[in-house]
Amino acid sequence: MAGATQTGGELIEEETTETDAVAAGAVGLSAVLFALAVAALFERISLTGAIAGVRTVTLLGGLLTALGVAVVAFGVGSRFGYVRTDPDPSAGLVAGFGAAVPWVVIGGGVVSETLGLGPTIGVIGAVVAGGTAFAVTVLPREDVGSTLPLGSLLALIGLVFLTGVIGPEWVWELDWAQQASITAGFLVPTATLFSALYGGWASAKAYGGFGARGRHMGAYVLVYLNALSIIAFLFVLVAYVVVQGVPGLLNGAEFGFGTGPQTTILGVSVTLPVSVPFVMNGVALFNDFQGVLPAIVGTIWLVIGAVLLAVPLGVGAAVFLTEYAERGRFTQVVEVATNGLWSTPSIVFGLFGFAFLIPRFGNGKSLLSGMITLGFMLLPLVVITSREAMLSVPDEYRDASAALGVSKWQTIRSVVLPAALPGVVTGVILGVGRIAGETAPILLTMAGGTFVPGSQTVDVLGSFQFTSAPPFVANPALLEATSALPYQLYALISAGVGASSNVGDADAFRWATALILLIIVLSFYAIGIATRYYFRRRLRHT
Amino acid sequence: MAPVTDTQSERIRRAISARIRKTREFVDQTDPAALAIVSVMALSLFGALVGFLAVSDWTILPFVAFLASSAVGWFRYQEETAYVISLMMTVSTILILGLIVVFIFRESIPVIRYESATVYGFTVPGLRMFIQPNWDAVSPPIRYSMVPMIHGTVMVTLIASAVAAPLGVSAALFLSEIAPAPVREVVKPGVEVLAGIPSIVYGFIGFTVLSPWASDQFQTTGQGSYLFVGIVVGLMALPTVVSVAEDALSSIPESMKSGSLALGTTDWQTMTSITLPAAFSGVSAAVLLGVGRAIGETMAATVMLRGVPRLTEPLVNVFYGMETLTSIIARNYGEADGLQMDALFVAGVILFVTVLAISVGAQYIEWRMHKRLGGEI
Repeated sequence: MAGATQTGGELIEEETTETDAVAAGAVGLSAVLFALAVAALFERISLTGAIAGVRTVTLLGGLLTALGVAVVAFGVGSRFGYVRTDPDPSAGLVAGFGAAVPWVVIGGGVVSETLGLGPTIGVIGAVVAGGTAFAVTVLPREDVGSTLPLGSLLALIGLVFLTGVIGPEWVWELDWAQQASITAGFLVPTATLFSALYGGWASAKAYGGFGARGRHMGAYVLVYLNALSIIAFLFVLVAYVVVQGVPGLLNGAEFGFGTGPQTTILGVSVTLPVSVPFVMNGVALFNDFQGVLPAIVGTIWLVIGAVLLAVPLGVGAAVFLTEYAERGRFTQVVEVATNGLWSTPSIVFGLFGFAFLIPRFGNGKSLLSGMITLGFMLLPLVVITSREAMLSVPDEYRDASAALGVSKWQTIRSVVLPAALPGVVTGVILGVGRIAGETAPILLTMAGGTFVPGSQTVDVLGSFQFTSAPPFVANPALLEATSALPYQLYALISAGVGASSNVGDADAFRWATALILLIIVLSFYAIGIATRYYFRRRLRHT
Repeated sequence: MAPVTDTQSERIRRAISARIRKTREFVDQTDPAALAIVSVMALSLFGALVGFLAVSDWTILPFVAFLASSAVGWFRYQEETAYVISLMMTVSTILILGLIVVFIFRESIPVIRYESATVYGFTVPGLRMFIQPNWDAVSPPIRYSMVPMIHGTVMVTLIASAVAAPLGVSAALFLSEIAPAPVREVVKPGVEVLAGIPSIVYGFIGFTVLSPWASDQFQTTGQGSYLFVGIVVGLMALPTVVSVAEDALSSIPESMKSGSLALGTTDWQTMTSITLPAAFSGVSAAVLLGVGRAIGETMAATVMLRGVPRLTEPLVNVFYGMETLTSIIARNYGEADGLQMDALFVAGVILFVTVLAISVGAQYIEWRMHKRLGGEI
């Protein structure tokens, strides 16, 4: 580059830049391989087919071999001083174990299966291969140790693919009582995936010139990739459900004035400008389009009931724990109990509701039992988040209020609670998002019916009535089994295809149910996260 | 959400005598009328609880009495009423845990009696559920073994932990130490949303997409494998690991990190030699809680597994997925009655006890870590 005609020192600088480019290219190659492996795993590219005129497996093999050779060449070049790096005396035990793991798998597999020597000698092979890799990583200087075992691993796998030892038709039948085989369709992408990770790690270290800076680079590449993968996974997941669910959701939907059903808002009869039968109908024989309205209404009532139970209880408990109780054994017991409740499996809550609530509310599954069960699940979350919010209110606020001579409760009511409100609200919204999607507890306590007619849409407010016998108040709607979206989805899955012939396209119906559920739950999350940002920004500004 | 751990850092200082003194002070200082109202509230609520436990139709009466006395108390003696109500609410959280324990244990007693086995002349109730692998609720001999389900839960949990622990800790490091602020503002809500996706949606995708694919790839008979249930459950446990581990990592005092960085180390060296070792117990608590989540995950397992309560052959055959402790409850509660229903409660008891032990263990670890770091914060 610029320094070619200048002093010798800068010539070396230029050399380093070129070798840097080689290492950076190796990192890029790893990224390409990673992407190809993921695509092959999801069958976006076919292993039997070809990419740009080259057979896929051959291409993967070639790229892997090239990457492996590049990595080894870089390490060896650095060892003999052709490349200026800054290596440590040893690559370290972590890198040693990292390199040993794939070699153990390969050594064991080759000795016991390919050579056919059986599992006992296979273990010896695994130990020998892994031990060698470990030793070669840990004992020599870092530039060799962190490239040679991994580079030769990549080259070996690459050559196996390249020479067709493992081709697209390769199958390894495991001789197990329950038949299973490992096929090329799984092995080739998976091996490529892990090789790409190792290759990327080794070449990122090389790019950083080994030593502390090299390890920093290597680790950052993996950590960033991990974070990126999680976000990509989330995005793919949501996008997939949306793509699959939208046709079913919009089945028969109409937009425009006068198309929707009549409804009464604040005493005025209005005709909605949209008609989406999937969310406005139940299931009936003569419906043009079937829908899940009863399940949606069931979910809404379920959430309302759970919130009415859990929020006052939880906030009250948090007030007592933070404001009244002195920290001691009692608060500790409560905390352990709350955290224990928080991690209790949801199905255990379901069992509890089944044993405790159902005999007490009319001996059958009921909306009320479901509400209370979910309320119990929500409670620990409300306690935990409310406590966090109240603890983060500065003590100066309390002292200032107390200095005015007001009582403790007045301080709590007019100083602590308002200041903690944002945190509490956010926590409650996020908690509601969580319980709205819970299936297991309501499975045992509340839910019934796979295809619920629209006429069975639960009407809680309209069903209150007074009776002459105790308990004097009755609400049949609360004591009936009803449906909710998560349960509806479960019932649709477990009912199979035959039972769902009356909804037309059963698959579209299921995906649309999943989409509606996802929309409802994620909108709680969106609101919760947005609330948090709103309050946080307001706090920063003032 | 991260469990609160702050007060755990506090030493246990108060003895019971102090509390009695405090109660006496409260009684002395309070207006007798207020005291009477508060007592009526407490007694009537207690009455309502007793009535409810006794499945009485008259429960409504003490409950109305409680509401009425609270209303009176609220308008006349708000201070005391607020104190007592919040105290009752606190007690209710412990009460709920206690009720769960009592009720699920009580329901499981008959089958534990039925499955007694004799060892060296001693009859041990429930032992036969753990020493033979046969679950048969229909044809004699009727046996309710928990072994296949425990095997399934262990397999799924191992695979899930292998997925969730490294990815979760790495993501927590990213969020707490590495990510620039704008990136964190995207990734952190993303992880939260990941926790929010209902388990049945994960299960549905697993059932329609993963299971057929896996059965095709591994040429198995039928669908459902522990391997893929484990991977899905691991992804579901991931957010728990991330958020708890991130809390632990960010609770490491900044001064420790800057001290290391001032010596000229790279960020990564500081992380591996200062931050991670210091936060090690918190991070392991995070992994433990993730394991707890994985053990208790129900719907994805129910939908994706085969629902046959048998062991896989050989035991390490992860390409077949039979049943876990959670899924057998969700699948069989409908047609089960009598002993079989009680056997499902035994599965619930095993789950509850295991996860509670994990939760308490994780809290103890976190408490110790805070105690150790306490002086430096």
